Amino acid sequence: MDARGARLGHQNLGLGVGLRSVHFDHILRTTPDVDWFEIISENYVDSGGRPRYVLQQLAERYAIVMHGVSLSIGANDPLDHEYLKKLKTLAREVNARWISDHLCWTGVLGRNTHDLLPVPFTEQTLRHVVERIRIVQDVLERPFVLENPSSYVTFTGSTMEEHEFISRMAEEADCGLLLDVNNVYVSSFNHDLDPEVFIRALPHERIVQFHLAGHSNYVTHLIDTHDGHVIDPVWDLYRLAHQLTGGVSTLLEWDAKIPPFPVLHDEVLKAKRFMGDNLPAEPQGEADLVAAASSPMSPISPISPISPTPHPLHHIRPEIE
Amino acid sequence: MKREAPALDTVQQWFQAVVTHPEGVAAGSAADEAQRLIRLDRGELETIVRRSRNLTAEERLSIYANAYWARLLECLGDCFPVLKQALGEDVFDSFGFEYLQRYPSRSYTLDRLGESFPRFLDETRPPDADWPDFLVDLARLEWTLAKVFDGPGVEGQALVRPDDLAGIAPERFAAARLVPVVCLRLLVSRYPVNAYYTAARHAEEGAEEGKDVPIPEPGEELVAILRRDFVVRRYTLSRPQYALLTALLDGAPVGEALAAAAAASDLDDDGLAVALQAWFRFWTAEGFFHRLDD
Repeated sequence: MDARGARLGHQNLGLGVGLRSVHFDHILRTTPDVDWFEIISENYVDSGGRPRYVLQQLAERYAIVMHGVSLSIGANDPLDHEYLKKLKTLAREVNARWISDHLCWTGVLGRNTHDLLPVPFTEQTLRHVVERIRIVQDVLERPFVLENPSSYVTFTGSTMEEHEFISRMAEEADCGLLLDVNNVYVSSFNHDLDPEVFIRALPHERIVQFHLAGHSNYVTHLIDTHDGHVIDPVWDLYRLAHQLTGGVSTLLEWDAKIPPFPVLHDEVLKAKRFMGDNLPAEPQGEADLVAAASSPMSPISPISPISPTPHPLHHIRPEIE
Repeated sequence: MKREAPALDTVQQWFQAVVTHPEGVAAGSAADEAQRLIRLDRGELETIVRRSRNLTAEERLSIYANAYWARLLECLGDCFPVLKQALGEDVFDSFGFEYLQRYPSRSYTLDRLGESFPRFLDETRPPDADWPDFLVDLARLEWTLAKVFDGPGVEGQALVRPDDLAGIAPERFAAARLVPVVCLRLLVSRYPVNAYYTAARHAEEGAEEGKDVPIPEPGEELVAILRRDFVVRRYTLSRPQYALLTALLDGAPVGEALAAAAAASDLDDDGLAVALQAWFRFWTAEGFFHRLDD
């Protein structure tokens, strides 16, 4: 156990949900009994309008965590210091408890694909990522946490498993981990691995936060679409992760086909059932069944217009009279 | 064939070249850009990317390739919803597909994805045709609306109210500078795209749901756009109103701005004076001006 104790000493914020603009009015009107909110940093760092105003209002009442999708910690391109500066400013403004992003890269040669692209798990990548995490931590001066992304390929050049890479990365860079339980499930399915092995292998005292989400099952592979309920096997993994860590801040993400806020909130409250020995009361896994029934069985065609869009896609629609 | 693992920068440049290639993964990995980085013969993708029990390396890479285009086209459509509705999804996406190749995102934020789309539409317009003006102007309108929505604003700040201008001596008013709010934008369009935008939204939201809004005939339209209470507002302007507000936005004293309005107006002096009073009363009530600098 790290000398700082579980969660690197960070508070367990309880059960939170991702803040999405479609819920702004509901949240402001009803001030729901949610423990905390996670924001997508990129939706707010440049905002001079309502999104930032709403966030400021919420930050007075709720704990806020900033979750980014553009840091590109694994890229060979230089870090974007303008972006980091904006993160730091916003974090100060909303008293963000910590700032997170993903173990991935989003583009090189100045481009941004706006996707969470996989890194090869090599010694070279590890040195590169650790060095950049240290720089980011120095700049942000706020707890920094990295998430395991969903992935759809692995590289032949990798010399270690993802869990080994993440464990060494967290120890060497002295950073926290955001364990996305759904991503473990999705990636393990896609790479023919055992998700429990992944979760058991991590340094549990470094896990500061969990993510939960729904995904889509295309039979041959899973895609991290964040568009539905959390399925039973993911809840089972959550139960295991909860046991191994002693419980950490838990957040539900829902980014497409976003339901009314109470549905979202109810979904994350289900986590309480898995914090003890209770089993889920009702059958679940509908998202898998529905997606499987309608999923294409043929190989994926290039640039299919019906192809699913994995997380992240974040755009706030303007309000125009 | 066992090959030495390429360095991180090589893998990433190769991966990006392959999954963002407009013709898909097979074409992308065979294209010069990818081949210069990692030379692969046909069927050798799996020397770089592992296959899974269910999918080949090409199929797995195609998940990223599909997602790249699907995500960015969806986002571009969100930036220009009325233009997308006007063109239909297929035509919009074909424009978007070309656009993303010419102007790939170089920003950390998707909020800038559509920044060059109006320019792209203008650059790629067919020669000797007027109708592309409609698309360009509608795109420009929608982009401006989005920027005003989330750009700097004046919520919570004191603005010039109608009564503030009532007692000012004419000479002092003429010499003063009436500073517009930071979010005020003026647009000149060659088609009445603002009116079209309104009709399209009504068609989408109201009783005429699903009904196509006809593309309008060409005709100049002048519009002021600003944000008040975090909601974007649109105002159709006459030519003299546009001239006046343009001069004020350029920092001209009120007297010069009034002269610009008079030059653009057909009204006689008395008629213009009455009109000006009504305009300023309306604009100050609507929050057009931040302050009056003597």
